[in-house]
Amino acid sequence: MRRAFISAAVAALMGTASAQTLKDCRDHHRRGRLEEARRCFVQQAQSADAYLRAEGLWGAGDYQAANAAFRLAVEQHPKNPDYRVRWGRLFLERRQPQDAADLFAEALKLRGDHAGALLGLALQAAEQFESKAVELAEQAAALDRNLVEARELLARLALEENNSARAIQQADQALAISAEALDAMAVRATMDWLNDRPSTAWLERILKLNPVYGEVYAMAGRFFVLNRRYEEGIAFYRKALELNPRLWEARAQLGLNLMRLGADEEARRHLELCYRNGYQSDATVNSLRLLDSYGNFVIVQSGPGVLKLHKKEAAILRPYFERELQRGLRAFEQKYRMKLTRPVRVEVYPDHEDFAVRTLGMPGLGALGVSFGYVVAMDSPSGRRPGHYHWASTLWHELNHVFVLAATRHRAPRWFTEGMAVYEETVVAPDWGDRLTPEIILAIREWKLLPVAELDRGFVRPSYPSQVVVSYYQAGRICAYIVEKWGFEKLLEMLQAFGELRGTPEVIEQALGMKPEQFDRQFRAWLEAATQATVKNFDEWKKRIADLNKLARAQDYDAVMREGGAVRDLFPEYVEAGNAYQLMAEACFAQGRKPDAVAELQRYAAAGGKDPALLKKLAAGLEEMGRRKAAARALERLNYIYPQDEELHRKLGELLLAEGDAGGAVREFEAAIALQPVDAAASHYQLARALRQAGRLAEAKERVLLALEAAPGYRPAQKMLLELTAEENNQPKGTTK
Amino acid sequence: MRIMALWLAGLCTLEAAHFYVTVAGLGGEPEYEQRFAAWAQEIDQVLRGSGGQTRVTTLHGSQATRARLSEALETVARETAPQDALVLMLIGHGTFDGHEYKFNLPGPDLSAGELAAMLSRVRAARQVIINMTSASGGSLAALQRSERVVITATRSGMQKDATIFPRYWIEALRDPAADADKNEVITALEAFRYADQKTVRFFETQKRLASEHALLEDTGGGEGVRAPSAENGRGLLAGAFPLVRFGQAQAAAQDPEKRKLAARREELEQQIDQLKYQKAALPLKEYRKRLAALLLDLAKTQAELDK
Repeated sequence: MRRAFISAAVAALMGTASAQTLKDCRDHHRRGRLEEARRCFVQQAQSADAYLRAEGLWGAGDYQAANAAFRLAVEQHPKNPDYRVRWGRLFLERRQPQDAADLFAEALKLRGDHAGALLGLALQAAEQFESKAVELAEQAAALDRNLVEARELLARLALEENNSARAIQQADQALAISAEALDAMAVRATMDWLNDRPSTAWLERILKLNPVYGEVYAMAGRFFVLNRRYEEGIAFYRKALELNPRLWEARAQLGLNLMRLGADEEARRHLELCYRNGYQSDATVNSLRLLDSYGNFVIVQSGPGVLKLHKKEAAILRPYFERELQRGLRAFEQKYRMKLTRPVRVEVYPDHEDFAVRTLGMPGLGALGVSFGYVVAMDSPSGRRPGHYHWASTLWHELNHVFVLAATRHRAPRWFTEGMAVYEETVVAPDWGDRLTPEIILAIREWKLLPVAELDRGFVRPSYPSQVVVSYYQAGRICAYIVEKWGFEKLLEMLQAFGELRGTPEVIEQALGMKPEQFDRQFRAWLEAATQATVKNFDEWKKRIADLNKLARAQDYDAVMREGGAVRDLFPEYVEAGNAYQLMAEACFAQGRKPDAVAELQRYAAAGGKDPALLKKLAAGLEEMGRRKAAARALERLNYIYPQDEELHRKLGELLLAEGDAGGAVREFEAAIALQPVDAAASHYQLARALRQAGRLAEAKERVLLALEAAPGYRPAQKMLLELTAEENNQPKGTTK
Repeated sequence: MRIMALWLAGLCTLEAAHFYVTVAGLGGEPEYEQRFAAWAQEIDQVLRGSGGQTRVTTLHGSQATRARLSEALETVARETAPQDALVLMLIGHGTFDGHEYKFNLPGPDLSAGELAAMLSRVRAARQVIINMTSASGGSLAALQRSERVVITATRSGMQKDATIFPRYWIEALRDPAADADKNEVITALEAFRYADQKTVRFFETQKRLASEHALLEDTGGGEGVRAPSAENGRGLLAGAFPLVRFGQAQAAAQDPEKRKLAARREELEQQIDQLKYQKAALPLKEYRKRLAALLLDLAKTQAELDK
């Protein structure tokens, strides 16, 4: 009896406790009763059932043990797809998307119509900004009409594409299924905030259900950042953490975005807090590592801007970046009739993966530069293979973003921001900016270009591999078309309208006096006419350029010359590997026809060719023909492409000096010295010559002494030292130069 | 490098001969066959055009066998005197099995140990061996000896990719920019620094992981180093070893009328060297003032010499 009594008492106690089910735990969590939820999950974690134990451990934050329990649950119930889906969701939450996707796929093998598995795949695709996310979420929603999360995801995806109508529709459908669909309400609240309506009724509804639902602010933070409204995004992340300091993803995002804006110390504090609390996502760890490396950079005040350069290349890059930064700021201030209110900070990364981490927290970014408002981060010219990157064009592109974002208070849609920047690159110089590429030609031929009102989708969630590149091109051409047909003023008018938070259809209609559909038709006709010949000839060009390369390899130069011109003119924008300009120039050189070779290389340069070896050949050819000024111009192009080339600066310095441009020669010889040349003595001596010609005699003497310190027996330097000393002695007392 | 200039003065009076042996080994593929042979021919051309008392032997293609190399080194052994110098340059593929390095040649290969044995019969006290093959780092230990400079294109036998160091080594032999101290002599150390820097930049520019790291060893023991300096005690012998001369330095030094001026020049050069050693201990302003005065004096002396 006694034994039975004790058991009954324990059972009663346990009964009270075990009355709490997994559903109860989730309900506590959902209502913001976080402590109750935690206790409930801890209790579930004691369960004899492996699956319940896994859920409990997950809810209690013991992810490793949860993982082990899920593994056991799946082993015990190999035919149960639900367990695999939940395990996958754990992986998704812990940022292991591939493991998650594998489990969702396994669940679908067990049951092909498993809505939860499809939703899991949709969530995973959404994280990677893959276009299939929408399709998968729709499939899940169709299979399970009560799947609130699928509708919530569809609402988020629509909002990412700036499709407000669809976002509202999907959020409302979610709310029709459950009036407590918190994320659907969060989408609606975010939309209000994005539209500058700070007081939203949705927030009240959310907090009534869950007073610590920081996720609503975290979602808003994410969307503000996606819309390049970084400072507001940061403010939302802060609010999220005020409600719930344990939202580690929100804290990590706060850290990443603070880092984007250059607030490195505060960023580090948040990221380290995440790390110490077990939130060690790749982005968090990568960013902390990058912050550790910032000691290798120097900060340089540069007029209206600030440059952050790696120590190892600061001396060589500084003069060129300073010049372009100042030139770009001046040009845009004048053109956009506005003054920036803060200095622009330009960060230049020699390691592309550092730039990627700086931008996304993760390596593998395809971009060359990125603007976070007044902060620009970009690849250094040394971060890419010579000839594959025009850093000055990228810098101007990003500087244009600074102006467009400032002018619109970060409210311009992505297509317009990118379009303006792409357009402005070629305004600086026609050979800057990206060229028409084969993939763009194919997109035009098959008309894969998007309607202007939907063009943001091409940037955010591309539906084919080259769509981002195609969208950049399209956006740039749209701006060029508007300028050509209506004048640049129309772009400024649109800029202002976007700043007033008007959508693309409204802005097009108001500024250009036509519906977006009509604009699309007219733009298409204009673009097709402009590219007609190249698009039509593309297949023929493909075949003939391959043949031309074969002829060049066989050294059949007569045939190359016979065919080359026609092949080149089929697709004159093609300046990449194996281009017709190069093959023809090489054939001309081989046949001793230097003037023809030079002319061909000039055409190559004008078409935007960037290969340093070819541009150097052009310069050498021009110099041989006695055209030193043109030779110097050819080499100056290379300063915008790959300035980390000692030979370039030495040669350019000599040309400029011979042409009487002593100031330019000083700049170039200083650049050569910054590259720590093998022949330090000769480099100092050349700089001394330029300084002397520029009338800077005291500096010239300093330099010639440096040359002689490296090589005391260097005759030309000795001669100059004697001459400078004699000149110095002949100067009247009290005068200096 | 001033120490080298003093060495040279001594060498001039002794009329030492320089023996150059260049071998381009087995390419294995037409592309490499052509490349290695072309490099060897370029070296041959530079050396034959450099004047002075030089004996040049170049082997490539089917001639570059172990027997022919042995024969060439036997000849050198017979003809050299202790005051002479030997420069041996190896181009091509090498292999390393973890214990032994082998230079790939048509027919039987040649191990580093066998090569060292052949070289030991050469009486020339001063020798420079430049092994520019893949895996050449694996040959360093077997080849090092006192009074011998050993340069390898790779830091170990495990760096097995075909090397590009030879391309820049050849460039160093004919580019006046390699003559860092502008004394019209390119030393083994200057050529090493030039070729190494260019090789490093090649990999950096091409965004490729460097698959070779050249080493220099000239003390007869210990590891080779990437950056020879007074601190690591490497480079003294290499800096005193002229590979290629150009200009009129030698002729001027032999003019009896100008010996007094030449002596004054050498005295000034030594003072400059001493001052440079004291640089860290002197206030910068004082160092610069004294250096400027010495350099000006040197320039005036040289101007007198050049009259």
